Amino acid sequence: MDADRGYAQRLAELDARIEQARLSPEIVCERAAGLLAGRSGCRIEDAHAHMRQLAAQQGSGLGAVAAAVIAALETQLPMPSAGPHTVTPRPPRSAPHPPSPERSPRPTPPVEASGAGWADVVQQMLDTLPGRHIVVIPERDGSGEIVDYRFVAVSPSVVDLAGRTGAQLVGERVSTIYPSIVGGPVWRAWSEVAGDGQARSVSAVPYLHRDSEYLLTVDVQPVGAGLLNTWTRQDEQSRLTERIAQTERLGLLGWGEWDLVADATVWSEGLYRIYERDPADGPMPREESDALGLPEDEEQRRQATEAFGRGETVDVTTRSRVNGKIKWLRAVVDAVRDADGRPVKIYGIIQDVTARETSRLKLAEVEKQLREHRQDLATEHRVATQLQQIVIPIPKAPIELPGLRVGVRYIPAEQAGRVGGDWYHAATTDEGNIILAVGDVAGHGLPAATTMAELRHALAALAATTTSDPARLLSHLNRLILGTATATAVVARYEPAGHTLTWAQAGHPAPLLARRGTAVELARPNGPLLGASRSAAYTSATRVLEPGDLLVMYTDGLIEHRSSSLSEGLARVTALLERVLAAAGPEPMDDFLAQLRRANPDDDTCVLVARHG
Amino acid sequence: MRAVSVGADGDGTLVVVLRGELDYTNSRDVATVIREAVAERRPPAVRVDLAEVGFLDSSGIGVLVQALQAAEDVPAGFRVQNPRDKVLDQLRISGLLELFGLVDAAAGPGAAS
Repeated sequence: MDADRGYAQRLAELDARIEQARLSPEIVCERAAGLLAGRSGCRIEDAHAHMRQLAAQQGSGLGAVAAAVIAALETQLPMPSAGPHTVTPRPPRSAPHPPSPERSPRPTPPVEASGAGWADVVQQMLDTLPGRHIVVIPERDGSGEIVDYRFVAVSPSVVDLAGRTGAQLVGERVSTIYPSIVGGPVWRAWSEVAGDGQARSVSAVPYLHRDSEYLLTVDVQPVGAGLLNTWTRQDEQSRLTERIAQTERLGLLGWGEWDLVADATVWSEGLYRIYERDPADGPMPREESDALGLPEDEEQRRQATEAFGRGETVDVTTRSRVNGKIKWLRAVVDAVRDADGRPVKIYGIIQDVTARETSRLKLAEVEKQLREHRQDLATEHRVATQLQQIVIPIPKAPIELPGLRVGVRYIPAEQAGRVGGDWYHAATTDEGNIILAVGDVAGHGLPAATTMAELRHALAALAATTTSDPARLLSHLNRLILGTATATAVVARYEPAGHTLTWAQAGHPAPLLARRGTAVELARPNGPLLGASRSAAYTSATRVLEPGDLLVMYTDGLIEHRSSSLSEGLARVTALLERVLAAAGPEPMDDFLAQLRRANPDDDTCVLVARHG
Repeated sequence: MRAVSVGADGDGTLVVVLRGELDYTNSRDVATVIREAVAERRPPAVRVDLAEVGFLDSSGIGVLVQALQAAEDVPAGFRVQNPRDKVLDQLRISGLLELFGLVDAAAGPGAAS
C-alpha cells in the first residue's frame, strides 16, 4: 500500500533525525543538563553551571557528573522503546482521545453484550473517557421490534439540562425521562444504527427545557448491543471554538498537527499569525519552517529532537527569523504513538514568547552590569577608605600643640563608594608656628582620594621648605592641581608669640570663631577654588586670638544641603556651637565635635576645632 | 529632560543651558558634552545659563570650571548667567564670581542678565 510506504518513509526520516541528534559528542552533557533542567525547572544554562560546580566540588570530570545525573534521573522516567522501529504495514491506530464519533467500527467488547457485566464494563469505560457520553440499549417487544431504550451507562460528567446525573438516569427508560425524544430524529437514528451498525450524527436536535430551546448535536455509534451517544450543545461548540481562538490570540499561541500516516499538516489560525503567513497559502512545509531557526540554537533543537526520540514531551524555546524579525518561540511538542511507541501523529503548541524573552535577557544584562558596578564601587570604596586612612589618620584624642588644642572629626558619607576627598592638616613648623588646614576635593572615590593625598603632602612639604604664608601656600596648591581637579581649602597659621592667626581660603567656607558664647563667621579674604584658573590670586586676613576662643574649620558637607540654603545650614552649626558653650561643660570642644551631624548624606564632612589657651 | 543642551546665538556665542541638579551622578557626562562642543566649534565666547539649575555639588561646580578651562583653551570669553540665589551663594563661597563674570550679580538681583 502506498500510504503505508509513505508512513514508513516518514518514520524512517524521523528516526534518522533522532539518531543524528544522539550522535553529538557533547550529547551526554547536554542530555544531563536537559534532564536536570526539566526536573528542577531551571534553565539549561543553569543546569550546565550546576554540573560544572558539582564536577569542581567532586574533583571529577564533567562527563562523569553528566553520566551520574543521567543515571539518577533517566531511570525514573518511563522509557518507551528508543531504537529505530521495525515498520510493518498495518492499519495505524489513532489517539486514545479525544474520541471521534466517525471512528468505527469499535472492537466488540469480549463480554456478553447484554448482561449486567457488559453494562459495568461500558460504565468503566465511560468513567475514564473525557467528554459526555450516554449508552442506551434497545428494548424490544416479543416480535423483536424496538419499543423503547434504557440508559445503561452515563459519563460522570453528564448533567442534563434538568440537573439529572448518571446515577438518576441509569436503569430508567428514555421515554420516561425524555418523552420529547420519542419518534424524533435521534430516536430514528438509534433505530437505524441498531439496524445496520453504521455510526450516525444528528445535528440541530431541538431540546426544550424550561421554555428555552437548545440545539444539540448527537453522535451515535454502536457499542455491542447498545448505542453510544455523544451529546454536544451547539452553542457550546461554537463557544468553545471561539474560546480557543481567543486564547490563541491572547496567549500568542498557535497549534499545529502533522499526521505521519496521512502526511497531512494542519495549522491553527494562531500559528499562521505567529509565522505571519497567509492562511490561503496553507501550512509552511516543515523544511521551510526548520530553516527559519537561528543556527545559534542548533544545540537546543538537537536536544529537543533527541528528547522526542526518547518519547518525552518536548518543551523548548528557540529563536526563528520570521519576516526579518527574530522571534522567540516556545514549542511544546508531543506525539500520538501506537502500541509500539511509534509516532503516528505529532502535534505541537507554539507560543510567541519574544516579549518575555527579550525583557528577561534585558533584565539579566542589567543585573550583570549592576553586579559589576557594585563590585567596582565596593573595591574603589575600600581602596579610597584605605588611602584616606593612610593619608589622614584621624586622631582619637585631641592634639596638643603650643598654645592650641586641636580636635578633629571625620563623618563619612552615608553610602558606600561615596568616600570623598576631605582632609585636614595640623602641625608645627620649624619656626614654632602652627599650620592648620581643612580641604575638600571635588568628586568622590579613588580620583578624589588621590588628589587629596597630593594636596595634603604638598602642603606639608611646602610649609616645611618654602613658605608658611597661607595665601602663598594656596597659590602653590592651585597650580599643583590646575586642569586635573578642583578642590577647596582653608589654611591658617597661628603664631604663639603674638597669638595671631593669619588665614586664607580657596573657595572654602570661612572658619567660625566662638568667643564668649557667641559664634561668628570670620570675614573672608578673596580666593577662588583650587584648580580653576592659573591667574587665581589669594589674599589673607589676620585675627588675634583670645584665651578660650574656639576656631572651627570645616568642609561644606557640614552645611550644604539640596533642600536648604547654606545660611540655614550655617545657622544650625553656630546654634549648636553656642548651645555647647552655654552648657559650660569641662570640654566644650569635645561636646561640639560629638554632637555634630552632617547636613548632606551624599557628602563626607571633616571638622577641625582649635581651642586657644 | 536632559541636564545639558548646547546651542548658539546670533553672534556665534556658544550657549550652554544646564538644568536640574548637577552633581556627582551626571557631572562627568555633562562636562564631556560641553568640552567637546567648545573644542569642536571654537566659538568666540561661551555662555552658561544656570536659570534652571536648582543645586550644584562640588562636582557640579567642577563642570563649570571645566567649561571655563575649555573656553580659555580656545581662547573664548566665558560667562555664567542667571544663577538662582542658592547657586549664586555656592559660586560666591567657591570664589568664582569674578572668573564667571558674575561680580555685578553679587551687587544685586537681576544684574547678571
